[in-house]
Parts: sequence; C-alpha cells; structure tokens
Amino acid sequence: MTNSINEIEQAQVILVSGSNTTRTHPQVARRFYRAVDRGAKLIVIDPRRTRLARHAHIHLRIRPGTDIALLNGMMRSIIDENLIDDLFIQMRTENYTTMRDMLFGIDLAQAAAITGVPEKTIRRAARIYAQAQRSVICYCLGVTQHIAGTGNVQSYANLAMLTGHVEQEFTGVDPLRGQNNVQGACDMGALPGVLPGYQSVFDDAVREKFARVWGVELPATPGLTLLDMTHEAGGGATGLPQAAPAIRALYVTGENPLLSEPSLNGVKKAFHQYDFLVVSDIFLSETARVADVVFPAASFAEKTGTITSSERRVQLMRKAIEPVGDSRPDDWIVMELARRMGHAMDYTSPAEVMEEICMVTPIYGGMYHDRLDREWGVQWPCGGRNMEGTQYLHKYSFARGRGRFEPAAHVEPAEVPDSDYPFALITGRFYFQYHTGTMTRRTPILERESGQPLLEMHPDDGRRLGLRPGSVVTVASRRGRSRFVVELTDRVAPGNLFTSFHFAEAPVNELTIDASDPVARCPEYKVCAVRLEEVEPC
Amino acid sequence: MILDPSRYVAPGMAGPQGSKPVRGNIYLPVPAQVREVHRENDLVTTFVLEFDDPLVNQEFSFEPGQFMMVSMPHCGEAPISFSSPPGRGGGFALTVRRAGRLTSAMHRLRPGDTIGVRGPYGRPFPMTELAGSSLLFVAGGIGLAPLRSVIDFCLDHRSDYGEITLLYGCRTPADICFADDLERWSRAGVRCLCTVDEADDSWSGRVGLVTELLQDVQVEADSWRALVCGPGIMIHFVLSRLLEMGLPRDHLFTTLERHMKCGVGICGHCFLEEKLICREGPVFSLAELDDTRNL
Amino acid sequence: MLENFVLEKDHLLPLLRKLGRQYRLVAPVRNRHGDTLFTEIHDLDRVEIDLEHQPQSSLKPFFFPQVEVLSMYGLDHDTSSGATWYSFYPQLPENRPTVYFGVRSCDMMAVMYTDMIFLQSSEYDVYYARHRENAIFITIGCNQPFSNCFCNATRSGPFLEHGFDIQLTDIGDRFFVETGRARGVQLRRQWAYFFRDATEDDRRAQFQAALEARGLFNRLVHVDLVTRILARQEEPEAIFAELSARCQDCGGCAYICPTCTCFTIHDQALDEDRGERLRTWDACTFSGFTRMAGGHNPVDPDRQRVRKRFLHKLLHDVEHHGRTSCMGCGRCVDMCFGGVDILRFIEMVSENETEHEETP
Repeated sequence: MTNSINEIEQAQVILVSGSNTTRTHPQVARRFYRAVDRGAKLIVIDPRRTRLARHAHIHLRIRPGTDIALLNGMMRSIIDENLIDDLFIQMRTENYTTMRDMLFGIDLAQAAAITGVPEKTIRRAARIYAQAQRSVICYCLGVTQHIAGTGNVQSYANLAMLTGHVEQEFTGVDPLRGQNNVQGACDMGALPGVLPGYQSVFDDAVREKFARVWGVELPATPGLTLLDMTHEAGGGATGLPQAAPAIRALYVTGENPLLSEPSLNGVKKAFHQYDFLVVSDIFLSETARVADVVFPAASFAEKTGTITSSERRVQLMRKAIEPVGDSRPDDWIVMELARRMGHAMDYTSPAEVMEEICMVTPIYGGMYHDRLDREWGVQWPCGGRNMEGTQYLHKYSFARGRGRFEPAAHVEPAEVPDSDYPFALITGRFYFQYHTGTMTRRTPILERESGQPLLEMHPDDGRRLGLRPGSVVTVASRRGRSRFVVELTDRVAPGNLFTSFHFAEAPVNELTIDASDPVARCPEYKVCAVRLEEVEPC
Repeated sequence: MILDPSRYVAPGMAGPQGSKPVRGNIYLPVPAQVREVHRENDLVTTFVLEFDDPLVNQEFSFEPGQFMMVSMPHCGEAPISFSSPPGRGGGFALTVRRAGRLTSAMHRLRPGDTIGVRGPYGRPFPMTELAGSSLLFVAGGIGLAPLRSVIDFCLDHRSDYGEITLLYGCRTPADICFADDLERWSRAGVRCLCTVDEADDSWSGRVGLVTELLQDVQVEADSWRALVCGPGIMIHFVLSRLLEMGLPRDHLFTTLERHMKCGVGICGHCFLEEKLICREGPVFSLAELDDTRNL
Repeated sequence: MLENFVLEKDHLLPLLRKLGRQYRLVAPVRNRHGDTLFTEIHDLDRVEIDLEHQPQSSLKPFFFPQVEVLSMYGLDHDTSSGATWYSFYPQLPENRPTVYFGVRSCDMMAVMYTDMIFLQSSEYDVYYARHRENAIFITIGCNQPFSNCFCNATRSGPFLEHGFDIQLTDIGDRFFVETGRARGVQLRRQWAYFFRDATEDDRRAQFQAALEARGLFNRLVHVDLVTRILARQEEPEAIFAELSARCQDCGGCAYICPTCTCFTIHDQALDEDRGERLRTWDACTFSGFTRMAGGHNPVDPDRQRVRKRFLHKLLHDVEHHGRTSCMGCGRCVDMCFGGVDILRFIEMVSENETEHEETP
C-alpha cells in the first residue's frame, strides 16, 4: 500500500477493485464503512455483487477480466471532461503523450460493450473518482490473478497518476495483501529476481554485499517462480526459458501447492517427477502427505518473529506458548537443516536474525526487535534505528524517479466461455475458511459456518438447469472435474460461477488454468471456462 | 424422570483420567443400546433403544412430544423426538432422517451398538387436556414421527379419545415413513388419508399438498383438537387453514424443530422470539404463537 | 443495613497480599503491551494492578470459559459381536476460592445475570457452578466513566447498591468501603485491622463522588426509550436490515459481551476411539447458530442477523427478568468492525422515534 490503512478513513472517494474486502480484509473494510459514514463515495469494481458492492454508491459489475477496458474508458472520459491533474503529470510523470494518444483511440461505447457496464456509469464513476481531492484505490487478487494482471495494475497506476491521486496522505494506490505476512515474505526476497529489500540479483554490488555477510557465493540469475516450480518440473508447458535445469528436489514450507496451485493435474505430474520432497507445516496437509520428509513446524503462537502487513508495518509477534510436542519454530528448522548440510547458520534468537536484516536491507534498516516491541510496529522504508517509519510512499518522488505511464490494451482472458464450456468460473475465498483449510477446517465453529464446497450460481441459471440449493453438481473444465454443492445467489451474474479452493474434497484447482501473466507469472485463477456435467438433485 | 447419569457407570471401565460420574450433571449422556433398526425409507430409519441398566429402563419415562439429545462418537449431539408411545416398556423409539453428519452416522448403526442419550426434554403434548376430544393429526414427511408417539398413545388409551383422523403428506411416494403403521392404524379405526406432491408409477393415491386433504375432513370447533407437525412452511399453511375452518387457536397444537444444543434452556440456539423451544416447547398451542410465518 | 468503613490506599496492597495467601487473586492487570485484562496474580510485586483503565475483558471467561471440556468419551469395540460400547466421563473444573478484585459495577451486574442463566434456570449448570461457588467480589465504583460507558442508562452503575461482597469508592487518599453479602462481611471482619469505621466526612465524600460520577458520562443513551419502543412490538425492520448488512459475522460482540452466554457443544476427536466433548462460546449472529441439519435457517441472515442480539438484550430479557441484559460497559463499541454495536442500534431506534414525533 502506498498509504496506511488508517488513512482510508479520511478518503473522499474509495475505488475498490477485485476485492471482497468485508470478507477478506475486515480491518480494511471497517475503514471503508467509517469513511462512507463520514460521507465518502464508494465505487466497487467486481463481477460479483459482494456485500461491499451492495453497500457501494456505484457498482461497476464488469465481465471477469475486463479491468483494462474499463479503466481506459474511465481515463478517456476523464480526459474528455478535462479532469486530469496537469501539474502532477508535468512535474512527476513521464510518457504521458503516449498514454494520451492511446486514450484518444479508446471508444467508450466499445469499453461498455467489452465490460458490460453502461457508458453512462463508466463516465459517472470516472467523474466521481477524478473530481475528489482525496481518492484512494484499493485492489486485490481480482486485479492481479489474470493473464493481464500486470497491465491491470499499471492501468490503476495510470488512473491515479492521471488525476494526481498519489503522493499525498489519504490518496494513493493500495494493493491489499493476503496472508498476515505475504508482504514480509516478498520484502525478504521470496521472489525469483530479488534479494531482501527488493535488491536485484543482477546487481554485482548487492550480491557482493550479501556474499560477505552470508559467506557464500550467490547466483546472478533469478530463480523460478512458484508456477514454474510446480508445473512440469523445470518449465516446458509454461514457457520457461529452456536453460533452467529440471528441479529434482523441493522444500515446501507453509504452503499446500497440491491444493492451491492452478491446474492441479499438472502439479501432480510435476510432484511425481521430484526425487525428493520435504514439507514443513503445522498439520499434515495434502502436500505433506506425499512428502519424503515432513518437518513438524510450530504455529504462530509458539514462536517469536515479525510479520509485515499490507501497510508495510513490521510488527513483532511474541511467543505465547512453548512449541507443542516435537514441533519446532521455522528458524530452528532452517538453521538445523543448514548446519547438517554443512553450512553453519548460527543465530541465537530471531532478534539476532533481524539485526542482520537491518544491516543488509536498507528499507528495513531500523527494524530492531527492541524498537518494534516499544512502538506499535514501524512502517518501511525506515533507514535506521533513529529514523521514523514511512506513513505513505512517493511523498516527493516515485521510487524510480518519475512515474511512468504504461498504456495497456484490453486482453481477453486465456479461456472464455464457449458453447462447450458455457460458464465462467471465478475463484476466491469464503469468509470462514482460510486458504487450503489446513487450519480452519480443523475448527468446529468455522466448519459449521462454512463446511461445504459451495458453488455460487445465479438463480436464473439454477432454474434453467433445474437445480435447487443443495444440489450436487460435477463441474468440468478442459483440465479436470470436481463436485460442488449449489448455492443459488445473485452475488454472481448469470453465466458466472464462483467457488473457493478451501476444500480438499472438491479441489477447484483441478479446473483452473495455468495460463499466467507473462511478467509476474501470476496464474489466471480468476476466470476459466467450465460446464456442468452430472447433476444430482438434492 | 430425567436420567441421572450418576446411576450409570459402564461395567469395568474407569474414566481416562480416573474421573467419576457426578450427580446432577445435565450434560452427561448415558449409553443406550440399539435393539432394533427399521428402515422406513431411503433416508429415514427408526431405532428402538434400551438402556443397559434394567433399573434405568424401568424408571425411565417420557411423554409424547418430548425429545432426547442423542450423541454419536465425534459428531456431538442432536435433538430427536420420540416416535414410540410411553408406557409400553422395553425401551423407546427414535426416528431419524439423514440430514447431517450425526444423523448419517446413526444410519450406520447396527443392533448391539451403543449411542449416548440424555433427556427426556421439552414440554409434551397435553395428553390429559386432549382427553375427551376427537383428534385430527396433520403430518408432513418425517413430521409424522412425534405424532406417531401420540397416535399410539391414544390407541393405548382408546376410550379416552374420540375419533382419530390422520392426514399425511409427503413430497414423493418414496418419502413416506411408517407405511406399516399407517396400515395398522387404519385397521384400528384411525381414518388415514395420504397424499404426495409428486406421484410416480407406483402411486395410485392422491396427489397434492396436505392442505388439500383438509377439504375431506369435517371438524367441530368444540370437540376437535388438531396436532400438526412437518416443515415450517407446511405448519403455517395447515394452521391457517384450520383457523379458517373454525378451530380456535387453543385447540391447535404443533411441535417445532430448531437447532438445539443443550436441551435445557441455557445455550440459546433454539429461540423463537422470546421463547426457547427446548424448554417452553417444542409443543405449542397456536394460542402461544403470535406468528407462524417464520417457523 | 450496609456497614461502612475506610481503607487507606497505602494499605490496599498489604491487604491484597494477605488475601493472596488464602485465595487465588484475580484483578485487572496492565501488561507490558498496554492491555488491561483480568489476570490471575501470582506475585503482587511483579504486576501492575490497573484501576485507571477499563479492563478490556470482563469476568465472563472465569466462570464460563471460551472453551471448556465437559467430558471425555471413549469407544470400546467388542471384537466377537462387532458392537461398540460408547461411554462418557465428566471433567469438572476446579473450584479454588478466589477473590476478584477491582470489578466494575457493570461486570458485577453481568455476573448476577449469568448466575440467573446458568443456576436459576430449570436446570443447574454444574460447570458454571463449580467456577462460581467460591468466588468473592471486591468491586470498585467508577468515579470517572470510560469513553464508551453508558451504565447510567442501563441502571447498572457507576456504583452498586447490591450484589457485591465489598464495594470500594475512591475518595482521594482512601477508599470508602461498603460490605454487602456475607462473604464480604466476613472477610472485612477477618482483616478488621486494615479498616476503620467511616466518619460522616467519609460518607459525604463518597456521596459526592457518586453524585459527580453520574454527571461525567460522555454519552447520552436512551435505553429506556428504546425498551419502551420495542415493547410496543413495532419492529424496526429497516434498522435490523441495515445493521445486518453491515455486520461482518465475526461474533466479536458476543464474545466480548459480559452477558452473552450462548454456547455450542461439539466433539473434538483425539484419536479414532477417544475424544473430548467441548462447549464453546457461540454467537447468534452466526448463520450456523440457527441453521438446522437439513440446511433450513429460520433466521434470514441478510436482514435479521443482528435482530436476536438486540431484541434479547433490550426486549426479551426485560420481559423475562425485568431489566435489560445490556450492562452499558460499551466494550462492543470498540470491538465491532462494521459499526453495528448496541449503542448504534439504540441511537438509530431512538432517533427514528424522535423523527416520528416531530412529523405531525
């Protein structure tokens, strides 16, 4: 997030896209509610009529995967009505002329046809967003989990820059991160091309710095993405550079790819090819079940460390109880593994690990445990012990200098419904379950609230197919099939279906597609074409 | 009598932590053994149960309309109404429709297995108050189970009650429960009318909603009482129709179903407005219910 | 008649030290992360008893824990007949004599309410009774109500007239001490040398503190008006629908509420043949609270999710017990993600009424 979560409360316009915020980020949604109570306008972009969409002043119910068309339409409308921020564009951005020329080629009627949102509504939303002084964009996986994910994100950035809605308090572009520490994992270099603090592996000076501290030589080539690791080991089908060597062993920690990765059939094949699989998890997940070695890991309550939230806030989580049974904290497991593989990794505490992070990671320069303990976490970038954290980003300039407009053109999803597979399947999350359910499906009240693999279907489709709530249907895509329990609801549009990957007995990722964004390699979980096969009336 | 688990200790078994049963623990089930299993249809089964301890068997009593909290291993508890009449000795019957995890587990029970039970709970049908009247029973699907207990009770005390008529509606012929009992009751002079919503080839009887059967019945406001049980929406329409037919509210009785956990009016799940069904019900006269639209 | 005494503030800690030897001691303790919670105290010198802030939790978890084992169960298989024997073994909690110190009026009233639910219903809850039977309450009146408090409107504070064993009132350098129930009287007698008889000045100071406290509430909350409106049986359906749409199903209001006593019972398998029967806090705002095994739900979650909660507190309990079961502690106000706490409901219903009155 460029902003802090609390700032959202002061926004005048909140544009939420591809986020079922009340269900997946309730702490952020509570700021939306407060802002709306104070008079803010809420615009929601979502193919589903989520609870937040019901609460919105404008719901732009787009066809799945048409964000770019919608945003280009909005931006064209903003230029037409002369609502751009000339000064900001001049002082702080580059490549505007290309952007403008592209937008002059945009036809709003066509944007309306592609997105399914009336032209009038697109104009109205654009006007509201552009005219306010403090407009915030919040987006989530509905934007990124598309083959055009990078273009989608760039388009939201374009919109914000066009109207000068960055660089200040209360206005910016805010991706809402998922797990409590997905931000921290990225910050620490759990990405193929960067070392901790987004320092590039291509940079000799960076590599040398880390090599000195760690006492090992570091490769100058980026690693593999998750998608490449889990599909056809070593690339191939997913278009990985052929130079990459085939994967022979995999160490999975805190992930359950055999349920969470797209196009599971391919994942199973890949897992079959590994010589050796190690899984570290707190429960015996679907992936741990097929591992050669399982490390029983300690849960969040049994270890000390930091987590970094969406708003870049590094917070200390303290151990509340000792690890139960034979389980061990992650740092112990990693250090012990390294030691036995012949590399002494000797830290006496998580605080000592953090001291090293502070030393080699400029944006984490001041994140010492004792300080995090005293203050209520610190937001990066924070260069040193005596420096303040950063409440919002890009205050005087963008990280790269000038903000660059990157025009994007609409790209159809990799797979759109056709006569063989007439439904568009959207995947997402249910409120009472978390990811592959490794933890939540063991919790009786959560299971009671949401224990069935429900498939949301529009009542009109249900009527047409003779389905009732509770009917069991087999859904098939070109890649596989899975059985779900029908829920009839107008949350989804006719022709769309929605379900989640929480349920091992109904793995929706048997159906999803492994087509991915060419830059970020993020798979298109959000849409694939399916059909209904067997139907058992309830 | 409410079961007192302190009377009951499994033979030759100490608790995992050497604990002893304690007097007056309302949450403690006691074991009951499955004696007979009768499959009513694909989804519904009747279990005849009996306590292992003959003393408990002897002292245990209940009334029509009451229910037991049934435990199945690893499945928690669910409320199940008695489907047999009291006072016949030799245990009691529970009839169960397979709907959730617990009831599915029950359908795997075989004679000789034990389940946990506690109860009986709830306010029964007012059998004494009903004495002297003619009775109209209206049931939908599995809703016949608690009324079966009443009908058999009346037949056991035949001289106390006047005419008895049963109107029974099911979704399809395959959903009919207690087919043998229907025949038995007919032979015993109970007027039984059945209907299904959707017929199939096997069905030569009436087709339509159970409310339509009411056209064939003459009831006197003074001398008749009606007892209704089934899905909430059916109860609503039947009671409305009976009111139109002139029966006063306090002559109409129904028994309600809710999600129950404790059975004794503490846990709060089974509320209907200000009432708790497990304690103030499950049997209500319509005079006690303001609104039947949301049963 | 209540007896009145005075305890010098300097003598409080020595008194608690004496009590701590004889009883388990529970008091609001401020931890190093800045949270004030009722906590069992093992060493008085190593904790900071906090009477400045409202405890974030009530006493509810001490008498009605969030998760409690009711019994263990086991299965035995008879290999010859194939039949299974299924038995239960109750697990009763310990009942250590405990002094609860620094209890606010709202929380004391809440304990009296939960006593009624668990002990005076037709059945007797032996688990609650065990937690509760050896409890002594030393309460403290609130000279300065906290920011979300409205116990004046729910008639459950800021000072108590009954229900406590001992009630303290801060009157400067000393506490004014009232003894209430027998255990308080006895405790005061046992440690008589800590207390002196109250003088007329002490009484005046206490009276003054209590009077001033009543004028210091931040919020004007029309609880009586709303209970009257609800008693007319005119259902504020639109308000329920609006608040239900904003409720985020977290159950936090019920969990934090000192008078929410709903629970569920479920099994936790330990292995194939053994398990624990547990009772766990539940909340009427969850869809699964009322949904039946077949899937039918008599409550429409979209429009009525919060209805039972508010009607239970402000209508049904008034009918059953003669008073609201909201004690005005205001904890749900900070807890709620969606801004659908009971204060908002009361405000919406009373505003609605005023508007009606103004329009001819």
